[in-house]
Amino acid sequence: MTLFDIFDPKAPPKPIGIDLGTTHSIVASLRDGRPYALTTCDGTGLLPSVVYYGRGGNVVVGEVAKAHALREPESTIVSVKRFMGRGADDPQTRALGAYKFVEPRTEEEARTVRFDVGDRVVTPVEVSAEILRSLKQSAVDQLTNVGGAVITVPAYFDDAQRQATRDAGRLAGLEVLRLLNEPTAAALAYGLDKRRNGVFVVFDLGGGTFDVTILLLDDGVFQVKSTGGDSALGGDDIDRLIAERMLPVMGFGADESVSPEIVNLVLDAARQAKHALTDRTEVEVQLPARGGDQRVFRLSRAELDEWMQPLMERAGRVCRRALRDAGVGPGEVDGVILVGGSTRVPRVRSYVAELFGREALGDIDPERVVAYGAAIQAELLSKESDEVLLLDVLPLSLGIETMGGGVDKILPRNTTIPAGAKSTFTTYADNQTGFEIHVVQGERELAQDCRSLAKFSLRGIPPMPAGLARLEVEFHVDENNLLHVTARELTTGKVQSVEVKPSYGLSDDEIEDMLIDALEHGEEDLEARRLADARVEAERVLLATTKSLEVDADLLDADERRNVDAAMDALRRALGQGPEGASGAARKASVVQARLDALDDATHAWAGRRMDRAIQRALAGKGVGDVADEVSGAAGVDAHVAAHRRAKDQGARS
Amino acid sequence: MAAVTPSRSAEGSGTPPLDRGSRSEARRSAGGGDPFDLFQIPPAFELDLEELGRRHRELSRALHPDRYVGRPAAERREALGRAIEVNEAWRVLRDPARRAEVLLQRLGVPTGEESNPPARPEFLMEMMERRESLRALGRAGDLAGVEALSEEVRGQERELLRELGEGFRRALETPEAPVPATLSLRLGELRYLRRFFDEADAFLSD
Repeated sequence: MTLFDIFDPKAPPKPIGIDLGTTHSIVASLRDGRPYALTTCDGTGLLPSVVYYGRGGNVVVGEVAKAHALREPESTIVSVKRFMGRGADDPQTRALGAYKFVEPRTEEEARTVRFDVGDRVVTPVEVSAEILRSLKQSAVDQLTNVGGAVITVPAYFDDAQRQATRDAGRLAGLEVLRLLNEPTAAALAYGLDKRRNGVFVVFDLGGGTFDVTILLLDDGVFQVKSTGGDSALGGDDIDRLIAERMLPVMGFGADESVSPEIVNLVLDAARQAKHALTDRTEVEVQLPARGGDQRVFRLSRAELDEWMQPLMERAGRVCRRALRDAGVGPGEVDGVILVGGSTRVPRVRSYVAELFGREALGDIDPERVVAYGAAIQAELLSKESDEVLLLDVLPLSLGIETMGGGVDKILPRNTTIPAGAKSTFTTYADNQTGFEIHVVQGERELAQDCRSLAKFSLRGIPPMPAGLARLEVEFHVDENNLLHVTARELTTGKVQSVEVKPSYGLSDDEIEDMLIDALEHGEEDLEARRLADARVEAERVLLATTKSLEVDADLLDADERRNVDAAMDALRRALGQGPEGASGAARKASVVQARLDALDDATHAWAGRRMDRAIQRALAGKGVGDVADEVSGAAGVDAHVAAHRRAKDQGARS
Repeated sequence: MAAVTPSRSAEGSGTPPLDRGSRSEARRSAGGGDPFDLFQIPPAFELDLEELGRRHRELSRALHPDRYVGRPAAERREALGRAIEVNEAWRVLRDPARRAEVLLQRLGVPTGEESNPPARPEFLMEMMERRESLRALGRAGDLAGVEALSEEVRGQERELLRELGEGFRRALETPEAPVPATLSLRLGELRYLRRFFDEADAFLSD
């Protein structure tokens, strides 16, 4: 550790990677090119993903919050990740925890679970944001200037769950560089560390989710071949298996409903028993029985192995499907990477060995490997590095509900992202002026069995005979695996209004309100922040455009060049002028934004031509070198770090 | 203006509410340009998939959104659009049936499912019997049987692909000659086999 940590306002922002886990969360960063976990508010590297809501707005995260779980289970949210992106009317929701759920009164309210935690109501996005805020604070304390963040999600997360995770990041005030699939992150940590090539399986059994991913590693390209999983299978299920058998010993009947306090107590005891069986073959647990007695519960590893067999078979089916999707036989696997605390359970390890015919790699801590990968990706993204490329896939098919409740698949699962597809539709009735399109995600044949993502109303189609109107709906899945939809009516050629009604999650307005609530001075602070963001963005764009002009100015004609120069000047002027007062901030932010948009307009066609040139270079086989030169010209993170060190040394001496 | 909710109001009328345009048409627009042109390879049915993968990786290195994180919005948008085109073209080129569609389009032959020439009755009979056997095996949980039957159909697929490869080679070498109708016929048969494999996979992955 550094002895003299002198505050340096010019220190370059340090990107971070966050594993937002079901049971634990970790924030990591790179030091001398190696990932390491930052110390959390508990003083360890692992922050329990537990949030306690006390009286009077007091919020506590981590180990301290965990202590409240036993006494105040309804005010202490554990495993919030399981609720991300879930609707209040989802029948599975209630089975996930003993909380006071708020009954939704409107369709709007039903789009997200809401917990009544005592003196307020919170959504899973807000609870996750508390965890992220705590991690961010730890990072700020240790790194001073925190840059963008990569947040990991299970590969099997659907669009609603991803949106919710990104919203939580925004709410926590993080610049979310990317949502990264956890198995891909783990492979990145292993692949880069060991410089391995070949076919790898990432077997990720966390607290609440199971993911399996098949990747091909080839000289810095991490190509995901297939991914599969079960978003309701994890170590918690093992705890529940043990807990179910503990309750009768404590004197509770099989169908008896048990208070949340007892549920938490018995789950805790079950977890301890499970952990003990990692190193021992038998364990004895003292349990408080009804009426105040103590009872002894005995459990052997062999018994637990047997109880776990159905869980393992569920995982096995998922693995076999992923191998089939990837076109890979179990014998062709070059390595298996274990991720998640639950892979410490001996039966999980032996099952993996049987399934793939080889012992798994375990040289990186399975609980930290995902956060390490996220930190590496954050650094790579910040550097715009080209030494590594992650090619990930869409985890679940996207489709549209058809007549009779079927699903027409628009993009099948395991399509490499970013991905896009267009579909054309026509009207079935004369003078039909609108459509309702229902977008679903999943593999089931009926739309009602798939995840409902959104409903789109397309209105204002001019009246015409049936079958004449032609509607084109375009789907884009971006690099974060998030879906975007646009629609246009082809007969009239104009883009029609699209009303997006996400089936789950919070609206932008709701997020905005939460952000205002979270800030001490509410709206004023938000305006100031918006101005600061716009400034950063403007400076970044000016710098990037200047650099692009150095290389590709020949792709602009004289008129275009004048327009670009004028737009840049206008933006520079907007940055330099005006009052900094509170109300001025709002006005100024909108001026900067307008000038940014103008510059964007002026460079749009040029950007297209530059991409065409990039394609030519890439296929001519000389593009990689050229681009690499460009990147090293823009002082990389290493250079910044070196400069930072020099500055620090001087500070320490003086 | 009452927006119509086709799936509800059309119930019982038997009219499909969402009449998808022909698949091939939807696809043609999806990739933007021609996938062979985008990858800068000569059009052919028989492709070196490894070389194709290499080109895909090179293009991805140049265009993937990860390379444009801190760049201006115009550039990010353009790169994203191009990366999507590249991935879509790659998906088309890797899939024999869709590759055949693109080639037929280049040769000026319509390729929508409805413009297919009618399949041979003996082929249809054979497929029907096979799918019945498949369902019987699947329902009985005889996975080895499903595998064996799939292997048999895979042999037939290999033969079809060989025929298509030869046919396209000749058609592309002699662009002035009329395109033989057997190409469209074989493409239709390939699609039938595909549906068989989809069904078999569903049994095997359960």
